[in-house]
Amino acid sequence: MKDPYEILGVARTASPEDIRKAYRRLAKTLHPDLNPGNKEAEERFKELSAANDLLSDPDKRRRFDSGEIDASGAEKPRQRYYKDFAAEAPAGHPYENHSGFADFAETNDIFAELLRRQAEAARRAPGPDLHYRLAIDFLDAVNGATKRLTLPDGGTLDVTIPSGIQEGQTLRLRGKGAPSPGEGEAGDALVEISINPHRFFVRHGDDIHMELPITLTEAVLGARVRAPTPTGPVTLTVPKGSSTGTILRLKGKGVPRSGGHGDELVKLKVMLPTEPNPELEAFLSSWAPGPSYDPRRDMQT
Amino acid sequence: MILSKQDFLAHARLDRETLEVWIEEEWLVPSGTPPELAFSEADLARAQLIRDLIEGIGVNDEGVGVILNLVDQMHGLRKALAETLNAVRERTAVPDAGSSMGRNQDHE
Repeated sequence: MKDPYEILGVARTASPEDIRKAYRRLAKTLHPDLNPGNKEAEERFKELSAANDLLSDPDKRRRFDSGEIDASGAEKPRQRYYKDFAAEAPAGHPYENHSGFADFAETNDIFAELLRRQAEAARRAPGPDLHYRLAIDFLDAVNGATKRLTLPDGGTLDVTIPSGIQEGQTLRLRGKGAPSPGEGEAGDALVEISINPHRFFVRHGDDIHMELPITLTEAVLGARVRAPTPTGPVTLTVPKGSSTGTILRLKGKGVPRSGGHGDELVKLKVMLPTEPNPELEAFLSSWAPGPSYDPRRDMQT
Repeated sequence: MILSKQDFLAHARLDRETLEVWIEEEWLVPSGTPPELAFSEADLARAQLIRDLIEGIGVNDEGVGVILNLVDQMHGLRKALAETLNAVRERTAVPDAGSSMGRNQDHE
């Protein structure tokens, strides 16, 4: 980035008042909203704002002068300028102003035609879209649901959540937005969905991951245990000799997707009894597993 | 994105009284019916412009009204000019359309 003193066109000894004046003089000619057609002005204004931010703050200026900080990183991502919205605003928006050329309309030419078309477009313009956010439960996102949204004006909106919806997805409800200012159709309601986390299910794409605690006996001898899935518990066969970390796949028990379902992946976690168990201890002290049983073998160098 | 008055005040870093003056002056025209005003991103950007004018450039209150009026007229003109240019292009593009279709057929 260029030297901020150079950008503002002031000496390094400039007083805060000099800096303020220099900024004002340049901002007048470079502010993007006052120069909507000038791309270069926008770039230069960004530099100017950054330079001003740095030098108008006595603390930042001191640190810059002493070389503690440099000019880079001072540029803040600026929100969009008004001109960007004005350029894409639909006909009939509240700041629309035709008085700059209304006199042309009195003549019978292309401008008159244009104004007539604009008035017509404004009359038929649809109402604005309204944006909402809706937080739903994990299982509702997986299985689908109907949720009622309470609107700021006290009204309600029933939102049908399709099964398998994803975090951040937006649902468009046609005609549920604001009414048209003229005779057009109402806008749409756009509902952005956020999904609350679940106590033990975690979603990865269309698959659901879950950790299932099992007892030592179930791990060693194998067992049939109940495992929760988004559509209710199922019976799962834990094979004989399962270890912590063993992953069992429940086909089709994941998130619905087009043409099927993802899977649920159940990761087993062997849990010892929470209380000390003298019998178990007595058994293990007399038990010799044999030389091949060394779970840390791969770690040895 | 539609902002409530509360959110708008926070995003635009404005106090309630200032906002009321700006709305009264019609510098800002939010949608919705009081007290449930709804603010758009365009309103937010416009508020930022007003702040820039007052705090950055040092325009006084009368000046802000004059500038906004001219800015709105300028956008009206820019839009009209863009549409005029489009209309002119459409008209002049008509004879071309036939020949370009002919070319496409040559390629096939």
